[in-house]
Amino acid sequence: MSAVVVDNRVRAARIVLVVLGVLVLAFGAWVLVTTVRPNRIGGLATWLLGAVVLHDAILSPFVLAVGMGLRRAGRALRTWVLVVVQAAVVLGSVLALVVLPEIAAKAHGTKNDTVLPFDYTTRLLVVEGVLVAVVVIALVVGAVTARRRSDQPLVAGTTSP
Amino acid sequence: MRHTRDAMASPNRTARSAVVTGRLLGIAFLVCFLTGVYSHLLQEPLGWMRFPTRPVQLYQFTQGLHITAGIAIIPLLLAKLNVVMPALVQTPPVRSVLHLLERASIAVFVASALVQVVTGLLNTYQWYPWPFPFKQVHNALAYVLIGSLLIHIGTKLQIITRYWRKRDSFDAQGRFVADATVGSELPDPNDPAGQEARPGSASPSGGFVGRLHRWIDGTPAPGPVAPATDTVPVTRTAASADGRRQRVARRGFIAGVTAATAGVVALTVGQSSAVGEPFNVFGPRKRHLGQNGLPVNRTARAAGVLATATAADWALTVAGPSVSRTFSRAELIALGQTEARLPIACVEGWSQMATWKGVRMRDLLAAVQVDPDVHVRVTSLERHGGYRIMEMGPEYTADPTTLIALELNGEKLDLEHGFPARIIAPGRPGVLQTKWIERIEVIA
Repeated sequence: MSAVVVDNRVRAARIVLVVLGVLVLAFGAWVLVTTVRPNRIGGLATWLLGAVVLHDAILSPFVLAVGMGLRRAGRALRTWVLVVVQAAVVLGSVLALVVLPEIAAKAHGTKNDTVLPFDYTTRLLVVEGVLVAVVVIALVVGAVTARRRSDQPLVAGTTSP
Repeated sequence: MRHTRDAMASPNRTARSAVVTGRLLGIAFLVCFLTGVYSHLLQEPLGWMRFPTRPVQLYQFTQGLHITAGIAIIPLLLAKLNVVMPALVQTPPVRSVLHLLERASIAVFVASALVQVVTGLLNTYQWYPWPFPFKQVHNALAYVLIGSLLIHIGTKLQIITRYWRKRDSFDAQGRFVADATVGSELPDPNDPAGQEARPGSASPSGGFVGRLHRWIDGTPAPGPVAPATDTVPVTRTAASADGRRQRVARRGFIAGVTAATAGVVALTVGQSSAVGEPFNVFGPRKRHLGQNGLPVNRTARAAGVLATATAADWALTVAGPSVSRTFSRAELIALGQTEARLPIACVEGWSQMATWKGVRMRDLLAAVQVDPDVHVRVTSLERHGGYRIMEMGPEYTADPTTLIALELNGEKLDLEHGFPARIIAPGRPGVLQTKWIERIEVIA
């Protein structure tokens, strides 16, 4: 690896940002220990650690594997088909991440009928169904137009998530 | 470790992608931080603080923005973490004491960001499955997060300035331009296994990673070197194909992140925005649903006021420094009612405009011979809860729209909305719009 060259103005700005950051972070730590009882901070530490482990050890490898699979499966697709499929998969995943806890919260019980008033399970299934339909239509239209214009080249390499 | 990292090489895991996603994420975090601090100070002001009461929808806007930006952070944060994934498994894991500190600050940043987003989201569902108090931790972690973000921007500043502009980031063919002098920890997608930096390693694109990339991208294994005369055109075609491949990859990535961000925002923002109302598919609240056509947060049963709030002898005590009076509901009505259009805007993000009718706070204060520019303490019939007692500064007490509300949306105030009387003031969070009030006391 070549030596890292740091510009002088960057160096000055870096010092300011890091010092300010350390101060703000320390203030946050002070607010934490003065407003939260010590026996609760242990529970928070578990959650902070758990969040990183859950993301880095479970979600990331999963996303990496799915991404590689999509990249391979998508290499014969036309660009626009690939972009549509990819957008639908990412949107569907993020919606599931946001709405599944909402379904769990509703199952857990709400304080009154105006909190979580919808049938989120059905709504999530409908929206995910629409996204699946969009993917299928894009794939079919892509395949049909590709066959009609078979003289045009396909996208060679494709993409990752 | 090295194989895992090489396998992660992608046109979307470059310093440029990190800068692009990082900028958006940084803006979203800053918006959440500023609106969050504003909301916190409204609830726990320092003694000298006064707050704006106009526009009356100010808090509805800032808190709606807080929740919306927070929801937008979910896809943006996942995108950013995906971009920088190879840095997680870099070799060697630690190069120096400073590098260790930098990685520790990133761990703090990622941990607090994930916890803030998850607990914030679940708070909008009023679900608290964790062993710590939400409000205090959300407030403290906000500073931890912004502090570690400042440190992160500082340590990466050389990379950020190098890849800030698109034209500095790609060559004429659209391939990422790796610059080893800025210290990026992400692999070069043009050279995933970094053979150039590792003389003496096996043949280019060889080994497990080479086979993996060939399997993924369907590129042929490196063959014998072509005759010298063909080298230049062949290389140019390969570069242009590679540039195209990288551009498609980037476009797909941007489309995915944009779709996820726009989608998740559009399908939930209807709980706090009239524009988004028709698309409120997953919002935790539905506007106009509830007693008096308004959602409810704390019910009369939960507050333990079912008997006291409906008692025939209920009266509101107003205590001035010299005069103290009690008012029955009929006596309050007789003081003369004013109508005001003010929103209820909850800290959890939902909000709705409503029409209120009741006695002006300043008229009530005049009835006990007090000038309107005073601090008051309002006590609710609630048996317990952090918002049983609420204090209000002179900017609210003197405001002509601050009411002791008796009617809501053209009907008698419902028990769930604070019958017999509640406070409604402009620009304050819903938790400070105290319901089921029993006492107003002038404190300064």
